[in-house]
Amino acid sequence: MLLLKKIFFILLVQQVALVYCDIKAQTSGSEIAYLQTDRTVYIAGESIYYKLYILDTATKKRSVPSSKVGYIILRAVNSTPSLKIRVNVNEGMANGSIALPDTLTSGVYQVIAFTSAMRNSGEESFFHKEITIANRFDKSLDFKLLKGNKDYNLTHIQSLEPLIKLDKPAYGTREKVIVHLAKTNCKANVSVSVFEESKMPSTYKSIVETVNDSSVAQKTKRVTNYHSTESKGKILRGTVVDVKTKQTIKDAVILLSCVDTIPNLQYAVANSNGLFQMLLSDYYDGKELFLTIKDAPENNNWKILIEDEFAQSEKWNPLLNSDNENYREFIVKSQNIVYINKSYKLNEDANDKQLIDVKSVCPQFYHCPVVTILPSDFVPLPDFLEIAVEILPQVRIIKEKGKYCVQIFNDLLRQYDRRSPAIFLDGVYVDDIDKIIGLGSEQIKKIDVIDVERAFGDLVFSGVISITSKANEMINTKPASYSVRLKNDNVNTGGNLVAVNPNTLHNPNIPFLKQLLYWNPNMELNGTDDTKFEFYTSDNLANYSIKVEGISEDGTPINASSGIQITNKINSTEK
Amino acid sequence: MKRYIYLLLLMICISTNAQTNVVTIVPKVDSVFLSKLTGGFFYEKKQYIGDQFFNNDWANGDILLSTGVMIYDKSLKYNGLFDELIWLNTFNFGKFKLDKSFIAEFWLKNISGADIHFKQIKVSDTSNVKRQCVFAEVKVEGKLSLYIQRKISVIGSENVYRNGVLYNYDDIQATPRYYIKLPSNHYLMLTKLRRRAFLKLFPEKKKDIAKIIRVNHLNIKQELDFVRLIELMNNEVVL
Repeated sequence: MLLLKKIFFILLVQQVALVYCDIKAQTSGSEIAYLQTDRTVYIAGESIYYKLYILDTATKKRSVPSSKVGYIILRAVNSTPSLKIRVNVNEGMANGSIALPDTLTSGVYQVIAFTSAMRNSGEESFFHKEITIANRFDKSLDFKLLKGNKDYNLTHIQSLEPLIKLDKPAYGTREKVIVHLAKTNCKANVSVSVFEESKMPSTYKSIVETVNDSSVAQKTKRVTNYHSTESKGKILRGTVVDVKTKQTIKDAVILLSCVDTIPNLQYAVANSNGLFQMLLSDYYDGKELFLTIKDAPENNNWKILIEDEFAQSEKWNPLLNSDNENYREFIVKSQNIVYINKSYKLNEDANDKQLIDVKSVCPQFYHCPVVTILPSDFVPLPDFLEIAVEILPQVRIIKEKGKYCVQIFNDLLRQYDRRSPAIFLDGVYVDDIDKIIGLGSEQIKKIDVIDVERAFGDLVFSGVISITSKANEMINTKPASYSVRLKNDNVNTGGNLVAVNPNTLHNPNIPFLKQLLYWNPNMELNGTDDTKFEFYTSDNLANYSIKVEGISEDGTPINASSGIQITNKINSTEK
Repeated sequence: MKRYIYLLLLMICISTNAQTNVVTIVPKVDSVFLSKLTGGFFYEKKQYIGDQFFNNDWANGDILLSTGVMIYDKSLKYNGLFDELIWLNTFNFGKFKLDKSFIAEFWLKNISGADIHFKQIKVSDTSNVKRQCVFAEVKVEGKLSLYIQRKISVIGSENVYRNGVLYNYDDIQATPRYYIKLPSNHYLMLTKLRRRAFLKLFPEKKKDIAKIIRVNHLNIKQELDFVRLIELMNNEVVL
């Protein structure tokens, strides 16, 4: 009986532990994204100022050790992405601006913000916000708007609402406005926007609703294709497949390099599902990536399929209302303001691109002395075959079964190594030797040779031949069937709004019209005192909203709003 | 009643776990994205009388790369004869001398019960003409730092008969070099630990140093006492 009791107790403890582990596994690593934008209505050509928060689902705090990369998509009603933006997330926050192309058609757009780790919870966990964009030259304005605002009925919402204190409710034009934000109980980081009220429909959850929507945490479902948290940088994901048999190839070695003066390499090994992942450091930002498979068998049908990190499987079909008559006046006014500002060149509010502390390190293939040969020191030779014979004594090129093979003389074995060396052209690992065979003294600037066996991680090569061409020949080559070339995107480094004092304008007679009076994505609330900020009103007479959103150190969302009126009936004394 | 409550609790737990949907082996990112070590094949010539390695057995070690990235748990040996760090790739069992310029520091773990820290320092050679990078054991770091290069030198050669064949073997022996880094970042070098030679390096502080040696009963011919002296000098002597 005692033994039975003991077994029963052990079983109980084990089961409780399993439940605990499961709850922890579901919540750990999952994130919430929230994107605050300065406004919800824009004219094509303007900038969207944004602040992205990445919060931990369990603690609701800014997820400091988690994702370092955030993705923002702007897509139209037909679900075609108009803009894809990658941002660097630092301490759970990112901010900047997105320049809207002048060519965007008028209509409703959806902004989606997410991290790679959020894909594990499904696309429904991504942050979605609908905004309206009107083309500057669109006179008909016959686009459809969203049907009303969506209501989120959330109960027991816990949030901080700091009081926004103004010295008066109405201000004159070009007048200084001083706003006091009442103290909160703890330190917090908020973003503040002061913009003209549009009353145009826009559906999105506020930060309070996003944070308190527990459904996000509960939506964790069976993960078949796990996405690692991009805690160190962007992760390139792909699969190696046999296009004929449609089977995935396991244990394939995928090599990544890019055009540079230094031979560079990174590799990954495909897992049992043919999936591979590579960390793309900032070194790869904006560069063309060359991916190939090491020692791919002859006549193979292997292919590298790269996952699109911005891909959205769910279509966006909003309920639209054809009647936009009520808002036509506001849009026309906005178009005119943009037109006037463009004419007077007053739209250059955004400061220069944010400086990013780039510590990019090239993944060099070797860090040792090499033998350098300059073909220009010798008589001109027509191709690499001749170069190998005449000026590269340690290199031999032979033809086997109609294919060229490059071999390096191994000093220890006193013979040519049958294994292939690593061959680089303009820093890129060459997937086909034919690409270098045709290069002669005219094309080649220098050749670096290492004639000893080299290790690069677990990969071993019989040596290294690195060719630097005079005119970046690698760019003009065609990738082999099992290779792929793709352009890596750049990190968005858009600047922030610079508040202009209208009284310092060189010509006071030019119109000073603004719909966005103030935008500060990084306002620190110290938790002990009121926080003060100031801005100037413009000649645009309207009602403005002051919107404060953010998150406190303890994970409590902050949401406050107020309004001011700008009128010309006030005889302002404090200009 | 109590038994039924326990049974009910157990049933709830089992049924909850039966519905668990997240049973995924999460790939560990760090293991996938580690920086790669680079090096050339190391051919180990064995015709030496004496040990060419600082540690004859492969030691578990960590490496700090010049890029600031740490690489953990690699099988390492430090070769004092060639001043090279040798890596045993346990994946293909190849021995590679790691590219020196890629390594800033490394730690050999559990060598006679202690972790030994090596650092690459740039010092002048004996001729004092050109500067070279060497791996040296970090003993003291402070205002005055002490680094010991665990150099192994060929001191002669012997002809040895093995299975009726005459071989020429090199005699090798440990010839450590002691580098003292001054606050001005200049290095002073000692090839032998001698009191007089050491005091000559600090003519202005000679009396203070002699006093420290006397008071603490240090025999600086012994490496341990010499290390202790540098530590005491850091605390007691105004440099």
